[in-house]
Amino acid sequence: MAILVDKNSKVIVQGITGGNGSYHTERMLNYGTNIVGGVTPGKGGQAVCEKPVFDTVEECVETTGADTSVIFLPARFVKEAAIEAIRAGIKFLVVVPEHIPIHDMLYVREEAVKYDATVVGSNTAGVITPGEANLGIIPDIAFTPGRVGTVSRSGSITYYVADTLTRSGYGETTCVGLGGDPVLGSTFAEILWKFEKDKKTKAVVMTGEIGGVYEENACETISKMKTPVLAMIGGIYAPPGKRMGHAGAIVEGKMGTAQEKLDALTAAGAHPCKTFTDIPKTLAALKV
Amino acid sequence: MRLYEFEGKKLFAQFGIPIPNGKLASTPDEVWEAVKEIGPAALKSQVLTGGRGKAGGVKLADGPNEARTLANDLFALKIKGFPVERLLIEPKLEIEKEFYLGVTIDRAAYKLVIIASGEGGVDIEETAEKSPEKIVRKSFAIDAPLYTFDALGIAKKMDVPHDQIKPAASIIQKLFKMFRAYDAKMVEINPLVLTTNGELIAADSRVSLDDDSLFRHHDLTEMGIEKRHEEGEMTPRERKADSDGIPYLDLDGNIGMFPGGAGFGIMGNDFIHHYGGEPANFMDSGGGPKPERIAKMLVLLDDNPKVKAIFGARFGGISRCDDFAKGVLIFLRDHGLSKPMVMRMTGNMWEEGVRIFEEAKKEDPKLMEKVEFHGIETPIEEISKRAVELANQNGGN
Repeated sequence: MAILVDKNSKVIVQGITGGNGSYHTERMLNYGTNIVGGVTPGKGGQAVCEKPVFDTVEECVETTGADTSVIFLPARFVKEAAIEAIRAGIKFLVVVPEHIPIHDMLYVREEAVKYDATVVGSNTAGVITPGEANLGIIPDIAFTPGRVGTVSRSGSITYYVADTLTRSGYGETTCVGLGGDPVLGSTFAEILWKFEKDKKTKAVVMTGEIGGVYEENACETISKMKTPVLAMIGGIYAPPGKRMGHAGAIVEGKMGTAQEKLDALTAAGAHPCKTFTDIPKTLAALKV
Repeated sequence: MRLYEFEGKKLFAQFGIPIPNGKLASTPDEVWEAVKEIGPAALKSQVLTGGRGKAGGVKLADGPNEARTLANDLFALKIKGFPVERLLIEPKLEIEKEFYLGVTIDRAAYKLVIIASGEGGVDIEETAEKSPEKIVRKSFAIDAPLYTFDALGIAKKMDVPHDQIKPAASIIQKLFKMFRAYDAKMVEINPLVLTTNGELIAADSRVSLDDDSLFRHHDLTEMGIEKRHEEGEMTPRERKADSDGIPYLDLDGNIGMFPGGAGFGIMGNDFIHHYGGEPANFMDSGGGPKPERIAKMLVLLDDNPKVKAIFGARFGGISRCDDFAKGVLIFLRDHGLSKPMVMRMTGNMWEEGVRIFEEAKKEDPKLMEKVEFHGIETPIEEISKRAVELANQNGGN
């Protein structure tokens, strides 16, 4: 078992004929991801990597039975593409591009809630269930099937955490990139709860960073979880008021410092880690 | 993107929100002229930061000569690192009462939220802390209408006098409409002033728009409102990086950081501290940079005299290791490395990256002498530790 995506997921790529779309479609296919088609308006009837291209998501879903989509489109087209996918019946959507207007992501989120769909991103590296499916731009070198789930705002941190879990023999069930943009399709709390219900996931590593309140808002969920949660927050030494990288990563007023986040998560029952090497030590202590 | 007060007020006026009839001045003589015309006036520094009043950035003048003297001082002022280059000259308002009105995004709840209070002219966060009962909040989905009755309800809870309920509700609706029309992150009227003449007027504006939505707001450019750097004064190196479009911040330490993406940029900064070192910078070197850009980033680090060692990490996702290797080689050949450097490269296209380095070494064995190169077999913590060691050996501490 895994969460969000596995080998049976029927995956489409929106923007499959574009440079990024076609490049990563080939990579995802090579990993074994069950890609059944793609969508580019005006290019219906073509094929990419021998997979059929459709003009609309509706046609694509009707023909292929797709339930999952990965979006590789310029930021300005993402809102409509995402809403189109959700209304056509896609239940899991990965929004890879970055710099999506904040209001657009609010519209996407409203739509996802109405149709009971899950969106991750924008600005996510994607989601990988090692050995089964790889959605997005994740390099698979660091990943191996195993028993720990990960959820992170950052792509590179996802890779480093998986690298650590693979190296220490734990492996991963599913690794979820929430995304680095200011408004995200899913919250830490929602993804953590999916891991809680997954029998194969024996522990979850969540890695957050300064800015926003997504980490703090996971506290209530963590306190209800039986599955242990390890927490790492980047930006303990970040200078206040300065924008470090991710658009979402800025400490606003008194909100969102790394230490406050880590303290709140620890109080809720999460196990704090300072470096990646603390992760296997903590897992061993918890007898995971 | 934060707007200047006068820019925000232009948008207010466009939506029919009453504003004072002000004039913009950029020299003491212009201030003199403006006050001569307007009469007793407020001289308000236009800077992209809060706390202007406390920093002495707002003065009242009764006549043009007094205004010119005050303007001389104001133009010499720096508020939190922002020089005062323009003043907004507005007629002095006779204030009956001040209110607070704002719209923002509750990111955690995915809603727009209208915040209002009968206590204006003060920091709303302070009010929220000291007397939360004095704040009205109402949330709306991004696609939900704001009906007149909603706005009337908020106006009543703001404690506006009864004869002002309808004008106040109208301002609330207009501000909300503007918020959505311009993809705002935050709009604030603080204070919304009720004058002794019984008029409601937006005495100040604080507007922050979403940089990522500017592509669909061409009219802003026509109004002279353009993307700006809004974090106070940049260091010369930050300015250079900014002109090359590289997200870069100078920090206090001596380890030059090429961390990969922003996520590890933030975390890597912590790791260096954890092992007793201190980074000289933050940089977002992710997002799939081309080799020429990577070389520019490395030059920025190498040229910094404070840097005693360079830390490099590439975990290729959307960024490719072959591009990274090519970028490092351009840097080594065209500029040269003057400090010790330790780096780790793995992920997308790592085999090709390694091949490019091997080939370069065959051609010129000395080229990579100062570079300690690692692959996926070395944990990133070891690289962080090593960078601290190298900086210390190189006279860091």
